[in-house]
Amino acid sequence: MRGKCGLFHTSYAQEARFFQTGFLKFSLGLFFIALLCTPLYLSNYQLSMLNMINIAVIGAVALNLLTGCCGQISLGHGAFIGVGAYATGLCSLAGWPFIPALLFGGLVTALVGMIFGVPSLRLKGIYLAIATLAAQLILSYVFMHWESMTGGSVGLGLDAPAICGLALDSDAKMFYLTLTVAVFSVLLVSNILRTRHGRAFVAIRDFHQSAESVGVNLFSYKLQAFAVSSFLAGISGGLWAHYTMYITPEQFDILLSIRYLAMIIIGGMGSVLGSIFGAVFVTLLPEGLGALAQWAGAFFPNISTYFLAMREGIFGLILVLFLIFEPEGLVHRWRLIKAYWKLYPFAY
Amino acid sequence: MKKMLFLMIAVLLLATAPAMAQIKIGLLSELSGPTSDVGRPYAEGIKACVEYLNKQGGVAGQPIELLQVDYAYNVQQAIAAYNRFKGQGMVALQGWGTADTEALVRFVARDEMPTFSASYSAHLTDPKDAPYNFFVAADYSTQARAALDYLKTNWAEQRAPKLALVYPNHPYGLAPIPAIKAYAQELGYELAGEENVGLGDMDATSQLLRLQRLEPDYTWVGGTISSTAVILKDAQKIGLKTKFITNIWGNDEQLLRLAGSAANGHYGLQTSVVYGADVPGMKIIEELTGGKPQMTHYIRGFASMYVMAEALRIAAEKGPLTGPTIKAAAETLRDFNPLGLTPPISFFPDDHRPNMTAYIYRLYEDRMELAAVPTLERKPEWLGH
Repeated sequence: MRGKCGLFHTSYAQEARFFQTGFLKFSLGLFFIALLCTPLYLSNYQLSMLNMINIAVIGAVALNLLTGCCGQISLGHGAFIGVGAYATGLCSLAGWPFIPALLFGGLVTALVGMIFGVPSLRLKGIYLAIATLAAQLILSYVFMHWESMTGGSVGLGLDAPAICGLALDSDAKMFYLTLTVAVFSVLLVSNILRTRHGRAFVAIRDFHQSAESVGVNLFSYKLQAFAVSSFLAGISGGLWAHYTMYITPEQFDILLSIRYLAMIIIGGMGSVLGSIFGAVFVTLLPEGLGALAQWAGAFFPNISTYFLAMREGIFGLILVLFLIFEPEGLVHRWRLIKAYWKLYPFAY
Repeated sequence: MKKMLFLMIAVLLLATAPAMAQIKIGLLSELSGPTSDVGRPYAEGIKACVEYLNKQGGVAGQPIELLQVDYAYNVQQAIAAYNRFKGQGMVALQGWGTADTEALVRFVARDEMPTFSASYSAHLTDPKDAPYNFFVAADYSTQARAALDYLKTNWAEQRAPKLALVYPNHPYGLAPIPAIKAYAQELGYELAGEENVGLGDMDATSQLLRLQRLEPDYTWVGGTISSTAVILKDAQKIGLKTKFITNIWGNDEQLLRLAGSAANGHYGLQTSVVYGADVPGMKIIEELTGGKPQMTHYIRGFASMYVMAEALRIAAEKGPLTGPTIKAAAETLRDFNPLGLTPPISFFPDDHRPNMTAYIYRLYEDRMELAAVPTLERKPEWLGH
């Protein structure tokens, strides 16, 4: 490739490569080194935000695989995350080591996701959304009323995860765990998208009849998408459970599902990078707005309460503005920025 | 990405405000979420108490600084805010609802952060499970038991009173139900039936029609203001003859406005006096609010902060303010009277039930009349249930 004034692929393998250029590898490497060193220079609060971002990234990538890539909308991911949280939590309480418990939680969630994915063979679009909404409601009911397992309304108290005797009982230690799992999840989904399976998912999304006529088994692939997506959602839930150390049914309600949908819409449907952007944005936005409200409140102390409360309204407004002005998500803006700098200063 | 970076820097800059010799208390308030109608007055009450304490010279000579955040009943935001407060040097936390308090139970235990909440779930009173959690009201189960006790004592007929339960299918509504059922049986009530009315339901007619056939004498209502208003009005509409007992978050001055004459004669459970009561604390509140009536939530918020300040004062007298010293100080409180705003408060190292007393109010469209102040025995087997 050296000596050429651009990026010209001569084989499919080249095109499918993760890191197209040395510069990309280099900058990503720097980014990761910076990320790995964050516990050295960030406060606990900022690390806790990073932990939540990592957990959200896993969930968002999972949902994006199902909804963005395979076109199967899910309003049940909040509950799937809950299934993972409870399954992992129960395994830990039964004395399992953390990693097997986390994986088992993922597998249980994959199974549950596949069961609720069965209607997807017959239902599409808004109808499937309602069917998965039913999953959300049924699972919420189970969390609340299966008291012998889930603790019902009282919830389930857990301990911080321990790996090989090392208790991850601080945000900094937890950060390495969530980061590792998030990186694995992102790599997993990115790789799936480069395989036959990923292409089949995209074919189903684009037009199911064409996909079927070129030999994609719709039922099987849709269920696979549900399984992988739910598996990762379950992993995200398992991490969340052990991060907060206390789970109650309230945490996995319909609002959580909507939050994850908002992440992939804001980030960019069908893009792994977009899911990451979306997860970062949606997690940080309330904090940023809160900080802004606090700052404004310093100037108008008497009405600081109203500034604080306005935040949620602004959050909603930003979502609407995004849908209007950036319908392809943050990842689209990112690509535009990259394209701009690539040719800078000779735009034409 | 740049935007993110900018945001993060903005957060960072704002999070590191200059430190002063102040006692920093975190305040997780609910101003814009689903429980904001009651969360707002509660937070105002806490702020008013801090204002009052600071006017009096603070706690042990140090002013209190409130670090407030609106977490919109979102667990994730509550955890983020908690961590931020911790970074800012918070020594104790004023929390709010079920969602955030329970999500933080393990965090505050690990970080030894005394937390006063407005989630009165009974399991938070057991220091074995929640060593750093406190609140200044009898827990939901105790309140309900007190009401059952009071109603049974005043029951004149020969037959057993019939009790029905109406509650939302929600953690907060479900929490006291096992305790109510068990105690009702113990007292000799006949359990007539139970129905679910959701927190957001606009109609409860079908559930109440089913109840009407069972003819309950008393009906427990565990919900929030809006669902309780719906239940009371629908009951009036279909002519259901039962006396409702509504739990602490299901009755306040707002309910009287919403339900109007439908509220007449029913019972409401409270753990504080109402605005205008003849107690020393009310003079202070009236002065602070310029005589503008406030809801009971405001008064409970005020009391919660006042009791916390007492624990801070005791701890500060003995030495430096840390989580364990504040907790230990709170656990020395014996029948501490928060200016008459709530029944006397005691905490023990192995029992965080503040008291066993509920205020039972008779509800009328224009007022809440104190009917009784039953006090139960502090039975060890009730701790945490």
